[in-house]
Amino acid sequence: MSATTDRAAAVSAALERALHPDGIIAHEGAREVRICAGTACHASGRPAVTAAFRDQLAEQGLTDTVRVVETGCHGFCEQGPIVVLQPQGLFYSRVRATDVAGIIAASIAADGVYEKRLYRDPTSGEPVPYERDIPFYAGQKRLVLHLNGKIDPYSIDDYLAQDGYTALATVLAENDPESVIDAITRSGLRGRGGAGFPAGKKWRFCRANPGDCKYVICNGDEGDPGAFMDRSVLEGNPHSVIEGMIIAAFAIGSGAAPVHGYVYVRAEYPFAVQRLEAALVQARERGLLGDDILGSGFDFDIRVNQGAGAFVCGESTALTASIEGQRGMPRGKHIRTVAHGLYGQPTNLNNVETYANVPWIVNNGVDAYTAMGTETSKGTKIFSLTGKLKNGGLVEVPMGATLREVIFDVGGGMLPGREFKAVQLGGPSGGCLPADLLDSPVDFESLLAAGSMMGSGGMVVVDDTTCMVDFAKFFLQFTQDESCGKCVPCRLGTKRMLETLVRITEGEGRPGDIDLLEELSEYIIDGSLCALGGSAPNPVLSTLQYFRHEYVAHVDDKCCPAGRCKALITYYIGGDCTGCGLCAKKCPTQAITGEKKQLHVIDESLCIKCDTCRQVCNFKAVKVWSGSERPEAAGEGRPQA
Amino acid sequence: MLGILKAMRTTLGHLPQRKITVQYPEQREQLPERSRGLFRVALDPASGEPRCRACTLCETNCPVQVIRVNYHSSYELPAVNEARIQRVRADSQPVPDLTQITPVIDHYRETGTGLMAVLQHTQEIYGYLPRLALQEIAVETGVSLSQLYGVASFYDQFRLSPVGRFVITVCHGTACHVAGAPLITEAFSDELDLEVGKTSKDRLFTLQTVSCVGACALAPVVRLGDDETHGRMSPDKARALVNDLRHRAEVDR
Repeated sequence: MSATTDRAAAVSAALERALHPDGIIAHEGAREVRICAGTACHASGRPAVTAAFRDQLAEQGLTDTVRVVETGCHGFCEQGPIVVLQPQGLFYSRVRATDVAGIIAASIAADGVYEKRLYRDPTSGEPVPYERDIPFYAGQKRLVLHLNGKIDPYSIDDYLAQDGYTALATVLAENDPESVIDAITRSGLRGRGGAGFPAGKKWRFCRANPGDCKYVICNGDEGDPGAFMDRSVLEGNPHSVIEGMIIAAFAIGSGAAPVHGYVYVRAEYPFAVQRLEAALVQARERGLLGDDILGSGFDFDIRVNQGAGAFVCGESTALTASIEGQRGMPRGKHIRTVAHGLYGQPTNLNNVETYANVPWIVNNGVDAYTAMGTETSKGTKIFSLTGKLKNGGLVEVPMGATLREVIFDVGGGMLPGREFKAVQLGGPSGGCLPADLLDSPVDFESLLAAGSMMGSGGMVVVDDTTCMVDFAKFFLQFTQDESCGKCVPCRLGTKRMLETLVRITEGEGRPGDIDLLEELSEYIIDGSLCALGGSAPNPVLSTLQYFRHEYVAHVDDKCCPAGRCKALITYYIGGDCTGCGLCAKKCPTQAITGEKKQLHVIDESLCIKCDTCRQVCNFKAVKVWSGSERPEAAGEGRPQA
Repeated sequence: MLGILKAMRTTLGHLPQRKITVQYPEQREQLPERSRGLFRVALDPASGEPRCRACTLCETNCPVQVIRVNYHSSYELPAVNEARIQRVRADSQPVPDLTQITPVIDHYRETGTGLMAVLQHTQEIYGYLPRLALQEIAVETGVSLSQLYGVASFYDQFRLSPVGRFVITVCHGTACHVAGAPLITEAFSDELDLEVGKTSKDRLFTLQTVSCVGACALAPVVRLGDDETHGRMSPDKARALVNDLRHRAEVDR
C-alpha cells in the first residue's frame, strides 16, 4: 500500500517540478490580447495584426499591464483574424493592422468597445461584443477544443497550468494499465477518424497480442478535403494529443512490451508539424516523455513522420507502409493492425481527436463523459462546418445534436438569399443529406442509416447554386486521383464512373448511364481491398438517392438545374443591367459588348463561361439559363451589329 | 460447404500436374512474338538492319538507370541527333551540389528516420528531387534506385523536375470546389498558358492543385509557395495575382 502512495507522491512531485511558472504565457484572468494563430487567420493577415499590437503596446508603455498571446485556432475561421480581449472576453473579428490603434484606444486604454470590428449577428445586424454570447460559441460544447483559444501552443507551461498532464500523472500513479483500458471502454469512446471503432476494445486487443514491442500511432493524415479538425487540435493544443498517446501507450505496453510512438501528420500542415515538434521537445525536457516518465519507470517516446500527399495513407495499413518507407498501398485487413502492424508488431492506430479526448475522460471521469451524447455515441464531435453558410469554422457539439441545430443555430444558417439544398458529411467517403433529413441527430448509427456517414467530421453545406452531379463528380475525381492502383475494381471502376459522370456533365449522357453508375458502384464496393475503394461510390449513390431528378435532367434534358455544368449553360445579361461596362472590361475574351448606360450583350460564341462577369456585376444582371427553353430575356446571344 | 469441396477438387486436381512457375531470373521464359515489356532493338524490315543508332537517349532518360547501351556501330551519328542529345542533356536538371544531402543521409543512418524523411529533406534542399541526388541516396543507403523512384512517384508531394520561382497551388478541397476553384485554376492556366502540374519555360511559374489546405472558411484558397495563402479568391483576382507576380519578377531582375 505504501509503495503505491510513495509512487503517487513521486509522480505528482515530478509533475509539479515540470511546471516552470515563468514559462506561462497565457494567464487566467490577466489582461491579455489573445490573437488566433491558426492557419486560416494566418492567411487572413494575422502576422501584421500581431506585429501591430506588439509595436503599439510597446509605444504606449502598456507591455507590463497587457500581454499579447498567440493562441491556437478559435474555430471561427470565417471571421478571422480574431482577437479576443481578456479578461472581459471582448470579441473582435476581421481585424486588420489598421484597426489595432482603435482597439487599443477603445478597449485597452479605456473600458469601451471598438464598434467597427465587433461581431454582428448575421440576421439582426446587432453587435454581439462578448464571446460567450455569440451563438457560434454558445451552441457548442467545447471539450477537446476548450483550451484552443486560451493557451499558447508553444508553451508547455500554459498547458500544465491548466491541469495539463494531470491525467497522465493519475494513470502513472495508479499503475494499473488494465483499469485504464477498462475506463476507456466504459466511457464508450469511439474512434473519431471515421470508422467509429470502440477505442477501449482496440487498446485491449493491442495489449493482448504478442509481439517484441508495440507501436502507438496517431493518425494525423487528415486527407478529407474540407476537414481541418485535426489540424486545429494539433496547432492549438498539441499537448493534449501527446498526453493521450502516452496514456494509451501506458495502457497498452506497461508490463507487457516496450512501446514506441509515431505521429503521422500530413505535410500540407506545416504549422501543425512545427508546433507538434516543439511540443515534443518541451515534453522531453520536462520529463513527460522519453525515459522514466515522471519518475514512474515507464519509457515512451514519439517521433513525427510527415506524409507526402497521398490520401490513401490515412488508411491504417497504407500508413504503416508509408512509415516503413514504402509506397502507401493498403494490404488485406483479415489480419488487423492491432495484431500485425508497423514492422509486423501489434500497433494501435487512433485518430488525433480520439487521443485528445483521453485526458478529459481520465480527469473528469467516465460518468461525466457518458452523460454527453446518445446511447451508442458518447461524448462530443468536432466538425469542420464549411460551405455556403454564414458562420463557417470549427465547431464541437455533443453527439446527438441535430444537423439543424449545428447548421442553423451554431452555423448561423445559409448565406443571405440562398436556400439550403444538402449537407455533405464524411468527405469523399460520405454522402449528402437533403433538407428533410435536417432533424437527424449527429451520431454514428443515425447518419449511416440515412445514407451518409460521420466520417472524420467534414460537414459541407451546399445551396441551390451547387449542381449535385458536379459535386459527385468532384468527389470521384478526388478518389480516382488518390486511388493507389492496387485493386482493379477501384482503379478501373472509379475511372469508368468518372468518365460517365464527365460525359453526363458535358451534355453527352446516354440512356442507361444512371443504371451503369449504380452497377459499377456495386462492383467497386464489393471488390476493393480498402475503404477508399469501398466508399468511393458513396457520394454518387447518395446523390442518386436524394437528387435523382438532377441526374435525369442532365441525361435526358441536357439541362443543369443549378446552372453550373459549363457545357449545359449559357450566360446572358438581363434587364437589371445599367450599362456600367464593368463586365466588359473584365471579360478575358472580350465577349461582352455594349454602349455606356445601355444593356450589354454577351457573345455566346466567345464566352468561355469563366463566371467573372457574374461575380463582378454589382447589379446581379448577369444570369445563366440551361435546358431547352431559352428565356426571352436571353435575347439572341449575339452583339447587336 | 459445397463451395469448399469444389475448391478443394480444383486444388487437388492441379497438385500432380506440371508446375508452370518459372524461377526468374535464373530461368527465363520464351515470350511470344508480340509481347510487350521486352526491350529489344527493332529491325528495319526493308534492310534487315537494326534501326537503333546508339544515340543512348534511352539510357539517359531511364529514371531508374536499368538500361545500358553497349554498341559497336559502323554508322556515324547524324548531326541532327547529336544536337538533340545535347539539348536533352542541357534541358535536364542542373548538377546538384551533393554535399548538401550528406547531413540528411547521416541523420538517416543515425536515427533510422525512414526513407520518406530523407526524400522530404532532399526536396527541401533542392526544391525537387534531382536524379543525381536520388542516385546518391541509392548508393549511400543501399535502397535500390527503382524502389526510391517507386516511392517518389507514388506521393504527390515529391517533384521529380525543378519547379518555378513562384509555385501557385490552387486548393481543390470540397469547400473550395463549391466556391468555384475549378474556374480559378482555369483562369491561372489561361493567363499563364500553363497546364496544371507544369512549369513555365522561363522557370518562373509552376501551377499545381492540392486536395485541401485546411483553410476552408476562406474558400477558395490559393497558396503561393509555402508561406503566402490567399483566401476568397476569384478568377479575376487570380489574373491580377499573376500580373502582380510578373511585376515582382521584373522588379527583382
